[in-house]
Amino acid sequence: MKKFYTILTALLLAVTAFAQSGKELYNKYSDLDGVSAVYVSPAMFRMIGKIPDLDMESKNGESVNLTPIIKSLSGFYLLTADEPAVIEKLYAEVKRVVDNRKCELLFEAKEDGEITRLYSFGNGNTISSVILTSKEAEEFTYICLEGNMDREQLENILAEAAK
Amino acid sequence: MKSIQDIEKLNMADWDRIGADESIPVPEDLEVRLPRRRTAIVWSAAASVAVVAGIGLTALLHTPEPEDTFSDPYLAYAAVEQAFTRMGKTVSQSADILNQKESELDKVIYWK
Repeated sequence: MKKFYTILTALLLAVTAFAQSGKELYNKYSDLDGVSAVYVSPAMFRMIGKIPDLDMESKNGESVNLTPIIKSLSGFYLLTADEPAVIEKLYAEVKRVVDNRKCELLFEAKEDGEITRLYSFGNGNTISSVILTSKEAEEFTYICLEGNMDREQLENILAEAAK
Repeated sequence: MKSIQDIEKLNMADWDRIGADESIPVPEDLEVRLPRRRTAIVWSAAASVAVVAGIGLTALLHTPEPEDTFSDPYLAYAAVEQAFTRMGKTVSQSADILNQKESELDKVIYWK
């Protein structure tokens, strides 16, 4: 019986962790006052994928091709909160998601009171979520990209963008 | 050994007589067998609870699909591109901080 409860608890935890996706957070916070939100659906990503030459400009003005990574995306969630009460609540919840899912911290930058962190979640060569959080005194931004991204491809794009 | 048909024909008096007959040996592992049957019942009840809980959780955790912010794929792409630019900026900031610390460390090592 003890074994059964252990299995059931593990199952519940797994389901809860799975449920704490970008979509769940978006649904919870996007309609609140003091929150601006952007959502891009899988259907919209399929339409974006048909746009020729999906390029972005790197820091030194060079062109970075985003087509392969865009085609592997299935969801984009952006939440920006500027109400102190919502900031605290959203920040705590994002932290819990990142901790529960055991996301890997890729980069962290602290500058002029702003802390930006970049996390990834996935296995081996595939990344299923990239999460960016940026916390300032009066604003908190949460960006989540979901899909089936090739790790090497994503790392190359980020490295190119940073050049 | 009695057949099932013979057992079904037995009445209450027959059952009392058989129960009182001490010449019939009681299986040595009867006590071991009974708890096993109880365990099987508990497990099947627990499995039923798990199935019901699973169905309930699935229904509870089914999150509705949000509405697309943009109807124009170019605007949607612009938002995603901005996110990648921001991520690149984070990587760049981290690299700058690292370079700065490295050069500070080099100076310390040089003066030592």
